[in-house]
Amino acid sequence: MKAAPFAYHRPRSLAEALDLMAEHGEEGKALAGGQSLVPLMVLRLAQPAVLVDLADVPELQHRDGTRIGAMVTNAALERDGSGLPPVVAAALPHIGHFQIRNRGTIGGSLAHLDPAAEWPALALLLEARLTLRSRDRSERTLGAEEFMLGPLTTALAADELLTAVTFPEWPSGGRWGFAEVARRPGDFALAGAACTVVGGRRRVVVFATGALPQRVEDPSEIEATGDLHAPAAYRAAVATRLVERVLIQAGEQP
Amino acid sequence: MTLADFLRDRLRLTGTHLGCEHGVCGACTVLLDGEAVRSCLIFAVQAAGHQVRTVEGLAKGGEPSPLQRAFLKHRALQCGFCTPGFLTTAQALLDRGLPLDRANLPELLAGNICRCTGYQPIVEAILEVASTR
Repeated sequence: MKAAPFAYHRPRSLAEALDLMAEHGEEGKALAGGQSLVPLMVLRLAQPAVLVDLADVPELQHRDGTRIGAMVTNAALERDGSGLPPVVAAALPHIGHFQIRNRGTIGGSLAHLDPAAEWPALALLLEARLTLRSRDRSERTLGAEEFMLGPLTTALAADELLTAVTFPEWPSGGRWGFAEVARRPGDFALAGAACTVVGGRRRVVVFATGALPQRVEDPSEIEATGDLHAPAAYRAAVATRLVERVLIQAGEQP
Repeated sequence: MTLADFLRDRLRLTGTHLGCEHGVCGACTVLLDGEAVRSCLIFAVQAAGHQVRTVEGLAKGGEPSPLQRAFLKHRALQCGFCTPGFLTTAQALLDRGLPLDRANLPELLAGNICRCTGYQPIVEAILEVASTR
């Protein structure tokens, strides 16, 4: 349960951080809140030779309306969710325990991309735009579907950092629902669902069911996989009920 | 080296306990700049320049804090393994000044595991301190 040795850098600016990422390439790994990466490192499932700690990069700490810097913590967003879609505020208390939310960040969660995590599901549901920066190539902005390639696998190149996540303005009159099932409040979800209804258009996402959060028109499309925490049939059954529940929350006929 | 290992093995502050070492059990909770965090999920080097308060820092002048006295009074511990994590977590919740009650406290404590199943006296002890603020 001890991490392999690594070199540690704590850059003071985004330019310095991008330099370090470019310099170390595949050997380097960005450290955000560490609430997913540190467990992987102590279990030696990840053994990066170089950690680039983003804690002191000022450009990543800001929130400007619906544009959230990658290093903004879940706790900060929980304290002040003003201007964000209300489904985000509903999901935040489910992101780990409060001690985890004090450290965990939006960017870290998305770059880690655990299929059971809430941020990837929210990004897909709300059609968030993710901003990626590197030293040697131009900035690019990807939609959630382009960014999420597979479990724990994103479109981020080795020298790139996710710098910000932008959600669309939440329209007045928009409706939404969010629900998940976990063993303890704050544990990883065994299944989850969220929906929005905007201008009569219904959008439903299930998560913690399979390899990635999944957009579904109908619960029969849910592609569930099983593991030691829950068999596939259980996940599919629970997610199906959660879809009904979130649609009812949103005032829809499921 | 994690902050928890640094506290225990380098500083010999063994009040901070290590259970699961991957963020699930809450035994290693410490206060980092006043906020409750898992010291097993932070490398010691990340805490450079920040204030760390462990369970050893709760007592003042060798006297137990009000929270520690309430834990004694309510017998809010059995084997004592989880106790440092509950004390630091509860201290953070009390310091925040948010209302604490029987409805919200169990959920706020869900990130700390007590395998002696002594949750009820822990809740009673924290509520007593909360009621005297």
